[in-house]
Amino acid sequence: MKHSVNRPPTPDGAEDQGNEPILQEIIKIKLIESGEKERLMEMLRERLIECGWKDEMKALCRAYVKKKGRNNVTVDDLVHLITPKGRASVRDSVKAELLQRIRSFLTSAAL
Amino acid sequence: MSSKINGHVSPQPCPHLLVFRSRNGPKPFRALQDCIRVKPPGGRAAIRREPTEVPRCGTCEESSRSRLYACVACAAVFCHAPLLHSHASDHSLSIPGHEIAVDVDRAELFCCACGDQVYDRDFDAAVVLAQTVNATATTSTSGSTAMQCSVAGSQPENLRKRRRVDYRPWEPDSGEHISRGNQSIPLLDAANASLVSSTQQPWGLRGLNNLGNTCFMNSILQALLHTPPLRNYFLGDRHNRYYCQQKNGAINGTKNSRLCLACDMDALFSAVFSGDRTPYSPAKFLYSWWQHAANLASYEQQDAHEFFISMLEGIHEKVEKDKRKFQSPGSGDCCIAHRVFSGILRSDVMCMVCGFTSTTYDPCVDISLDLEPNQGGSGKSSSAKSLNSFNVEADCMRPNQNCGISTLKGCLERFTRAEKLGSDQKLFCQKCQVRQESLKQMSIRKLPLVSCFHVKRFEHSSIRKMSRKVDRYLQFPFSLDMAPYLSSSILRSRFGNRIFPFDGDEQDASNDLSTEFELFAVVTHSGRLDAGHYVTYLRLSNQWYKCDDAWITQVNESIVRAAQGYMMFYVQKVLYYKESENQGTS
Repeated sequence: MKHSVNRPPTPDGAEDQGNEPILQEIIKIKLIESGEKERLMEMLRERLIECGWKDEMKALCRAYVKKKGRNNVTVDDLVHLITPKGRASVRDSVKAELLQRIRSFLTSAAL
Repeated sequence: MSSKINGHVSPQPCPHLLVFRSRNGPKPFRALQDCIRVKPPGGRAAIRREPTEVPRCGTCEESSRSRLYACVACAAVFCHAPLLHSHASDHSLSIPGHEIAVDVDRAELFCCACGDQVYDRDFDAAVVLAQTVNATATTSTSGSTAMQCSVAGSQPENLRKRRRVDYRPWEPDSGEHISRGNQSIPLLDAANASLVSSTQQPWGLRGLNNLGNTCFMNSILQALLHTPPLRNYFLGDRHNRYYCQQKNGAINGTKNSRLCLACDMDALFSAVFSGDRTPYSPAKFLYSWWQHAANLASYEQQDAHEFFISMLEGIHEKVEKDKRKFQSPGSGDCCIAHRVFSGILRSDVMCMVCGFTSTTYDPCVDISLDLEPNQGGSGKSSSAKSLNSFNVEADCMRPNQNCGISTLKGCLERFTRAEKLGSDQKLFCQKCQVRQESLKQMSIRKLPLVSCFHVKRFEHSSIRKMSRKVDRYLQFPFSLDMAPYLSSSILRSRFGNRIFPFDGDEQDASNDLSTEFELFAVVTHSGRLDAGHYVTYLRLSNQWYKCDDAWITQVNESIVRAAQGYMMFYVQKVLYYKESENQGTS
């Protein structure tokens, strides 16, 4: 079975979690605490709907369900189907905007 | 695997869910209910054990790359990424009875053993309740029943329960059998075949003379003459003009019959369907309408849509005086005009500060749609100003839609989209007791028999003191499914994947009617705002006919598709007769 190269390190169960928090973790926590993550998620959802990405994914799912039959498809199948295509077809403009927002959040949070 | 509840297909629970429910008493999701957190505004429901919890997989500490599921039995959180690893599945395999989990970010149930989403009415009801009731610290999240819930169960006062009557097909009794044989003339048989052969135009096609800039009236009349329920009503003698005038003459004691637009319609139908093909002058009708709409009585050009509305009002006005009983608005019980065209629109206004939603229902006889302000797909105009150049040209990958072409479906999507009202349009929120910024969403509660779509092509700006016409082409389909624009669909998409009865579902008989519509008439406008011409295209027995005042010609459907639609008339597919090839069948 293939393992993703990006798989995060599995920490030892007994190890204390607060020993060495990496920068990524701090940023994540700050994003959630300030509510910025929620806002970013909403903005992302909006953009993906606006540019038609959501409809494209829906169409893909529909076609697949039609082919396989309604009772033979699970959520996992659909996720498996659209994850690679979905990730690849996010518009660059959306990615750029998201990065910009995160960057400006970081400067304002003075990390 | 699914059953019908109230006409909607509901998924059956999987065996693991059934076992879970049977083992855990009447309220198996009780503990979960306290963990439902709703983030206003917009009301997305999430599952968090503590309000500020950052969920992490209990096995690998993962918190962002995979979907996270909380086991309903033991509240432990695990990740689920079927491509990589699924600690949620591992957990369900290791402990029997722990197969059911809930997606922490979407509050949707999942069976780890089946690897698929499952649905439970009680759980979905609890989530929807939490989303509609304001779940802040001051109110309890366990859903107090005293609170008015606009979604769950309560019926607005202006909608009455309709009595369901079983359908029984009509059979003539013995008396009718005899009179049918003796006195009726078959419309189409060998003797009459010369009158209407397959090469001739269908029944009811007759030109209307222009009496002086009356193309606005002629175009609408042509559409109405071939509106199936309306045509059936008048041709079926449901409004007999002789009887009506006689009755009114008797009441008033005068020889002159009272103004009755329905009588004039009846006369028009008789004239147009008489079989006479010479163009007809609807002078009497015009005169009657002038009397009804005195402010529009002139030989100036008028707006066809305005005429349409005024006509329906005219028919309604006359009838209402006869029937004394109060009719609920939107039911269409008052007059034939409303029976055919009246639908009900639902408007949800949500306060963006506290999440409180107020819902109103309004009857409507048509839907007026805006064309998009900018060229470039039917999405919102880009709000990321610096990235404008990215959005428009390169990325138009919407399926079935070319860049830059507006479609009727796009307009309907925009019509039913949640719209943030500007800060200058703050609406009063009952909960906050002040004006707040709001989110408004329209949807269709009840579909009419005939849907009329009016494209707002004439813009009147009082600020700039000018009017202009928008000529942009709008693509419209010949068959239209209105399901995505219904309130039930819009509400479902707002709350995520739920099975939950939305108000009115049980009572609403229109659930049994299909949502599929067929186009039968298109009124087009060509020319300028002050000097233009209306033409109607009619679809009869799958042929298209152009009705240009007195001239009726058969045209190819491509001409119709390319025409500049101003008003489009769609009838419910079940009422649209597709004529059989053999015209002589009885």
